[in-house]
Amino acid sequence: MIHLENLHKTFKTKAGPVKAVDGVGFTAADGAITGLLGPNGAGKTTTLRMLYTLMKPDVGSVRVDDRDAYREPEAVRRSLGVLPDARGIYKRLTARENIAYFGRLHDLDDAQIRRRTDRLVEALGMRDFIDRPTEGFSQGQRTKTAIARALIHDPKNVVLDEPTNGLDVMTTRALREFLKQLRAEGRCVILSSHIMQEVGALCDHIVVIARGKVAIQGSADSLRAQTGEANLEDAFVKAIGSEEGLQA
Amino acid sequence: MKAARIVMVKELVEIFRDRKIVLNGLLLSPLLFPLLIIGLGSLAESRSRTQLESELPLPVIGAEHAPNLVAYLRSQNMDIEPAPADPDAAIRDQEKDVLLRIDPSFPEDWRASRAANVEILHDSSRQDSEIPVRRVEAALKGYSQQVGALRLIARGIDPGLATAVRVNHRDLATPEAKRGMSLAFLPYLLILSAFLGGAYLVIDGTAGERERQSLEPLLATPASRSGIMSGKIAAACVFGMLGLLLTLISFKLSFAFAASGPFKGVDVSLLAIGKLLVVLLPMVLLGTTLLTLIAASVKTVKEAQSYMAMLMLLPILPTVILLVNPVKNALWMFATPFLAQNQLILMVLRAEDISPAQWAVYLATGLGLGVLLWLAAARLYHREQLAVSA
Repeated sequence: MIHLENLHKTFKTKAGPVKAVDGVGFTAADGAITGLLGPNGAGKTTTLRMLYTLMKPDVGSVRVDDRDAYREPEAVRRSLGVLPDARGIYKRLTARENIAYFGRLHDLDDAQIRRRTDRLVEALGMRDFIDRPTEGFSQGQRTKTAIARALIHDPKNVVLDEPTNGLDVMTTRALREFLKQLRAEGRCVILSSHIMQEVGALCDHIVVIARGKVAIQGSADSLRAQTGEANLEDAFVKAIGSEEGLQA
Repeated sequence: MKAARIVMVKELVEIFRDRKIVLNGLLLSPLLFPLLIIGLGSLAESRSRTQLESELPLPVIGAEHAPNLVAYLRSQNMDIEPAPADPDAAIRDQEKDVLLRIDPSFPEDWRASRAANVEILHDSSRQDSEIPVRRVEAALKGYSQQVGALRLIARGIDPGLATAVRVNHRDLATPEAKRGMSLAFLPYLLILSAFLGGAYLVIDGTAGERERQSLEPLLATPASRSGIMSGKIAAACVFGMLGLLLTLISFKLSFAFAASGPFKGVDVSLLAIGKLLVVLLPMVLLGTTLLTLIAASVKTVKEAQSYMAMLMLLPILPTVILLVNPVKNALWMFATPFLAQNQLILMVLRAEDISPAQWAVYLATGLGLGVLLWLAAARLYHREQLAVSA
């Protein structure tokens, strides 16, 4: 379970301070997919970066499985599987070596790494390219490698920043099935997206973020009720106040 | 600690998969040294031999004024040529190394036993005319002394009277030290290959990792930031030391082959090579940590590389300063980076003793500074902006 409370983050820029996240808070339950929906620049990535301890919030707290992320950052990172917005992989290593590197950094031994890699290869459909150097991989192959690498330690909590960005339809569908599988295994899954249909189809709990604030949150039914719109996408647009930066 | 080891192994595996980098980073300087040492050695030797021993072409202006002098110069293995139309231009355009002008008043002064004027035309900024000019000077001086002595004898005076003080030199330089003089450029090359040997790995591992967006996922693992950074520095140090070891082996082999010429007898015994290794190890650490510090604070690989030119100049500074302002070895020198290595390398090659105090000062400051830079780089790695690419 992941609990975020009243997160604030301001960046200094040449043009003056920019408030990227302005009081975001929500709870992501185990065995559920929580979706952050918002236009580009709404503060989704910054919120997630604070969640996986890359950045320190100015105000607010992050708790992962009842551990404070800023008192025990290493323990929290150990219990998280993270696919960040930046998902570069090492070109001179094979996909398997990329995954094994992260496994070792998570203190796994070689036997554990082999076993879990085999399972992820099966689940993500990576058999054709698992032993190839990643130079020249397609976007989908790179994303799959990055996801496998993030999940090598079998984390209870999974955080994915725009996981379907740049993927083709087939890969996207396969990935969604994989996320449902993670949910069925009782994991706590958080993903961010700017695609309304994806969040609507996949997520049990939806947090709509705009201009650094939570505009509205709840289940799909609850969002429809709160906005008085019969159509979920209309509810999103109404809550944010514009369609700009969103994708149907 | 464990994270550092994992990161180090992965960085090394990655770099050894890139043949071009391995070739450039590990084999270039070991291949360059023999070429430089054997090539330069034989070049310098053959040049000084030909310039010293071959017939020197010497254009003379006004040769008709002093036929005896010209005949004497011919006897000194010089080929007297007619003067070019514009002697000054011939020197300036580097067509001639040296010219001799005999003054029209020469015969008159000669007969009156006055000092007769001759003039040597040359360009003192041209190194390769140095030997010809010295030869002409020596010949003229010999002629002058010979005729002067004859004149004194003709007047019944002992020529020795004209020499109030006779200056003799006793050169106490050891043979190794004399040879070491021609080695002024070697410390720079050795220091440079130690200092920047791990450069590629550092830039690729920090600025490059950020540019390729793989740093953020790495920092999302439980591994501590200082552990990750230490692993990268350690990998660069291992790579740099491997390059250094290969360079020193090739250094030893090429001096073994360059058994003649100006490099003859340079001390490249195993002990000396071992000492060089100890001298250069702190340099590997310094270069790697300094570059990590730079590469972790800039945004792109390009930006990091732009600092390389500056870093390449650093090791040359002491050599240049010593060239302009030579100073005696003092203990403070062994605490000054680059200067210390420069002096120590020369001392090793000249087979001079290095005192325990000098070793202690050198190693303490060299390694101490390296550790300090290491800690500074670790601090920088804890900055939030580091992870966020572009």
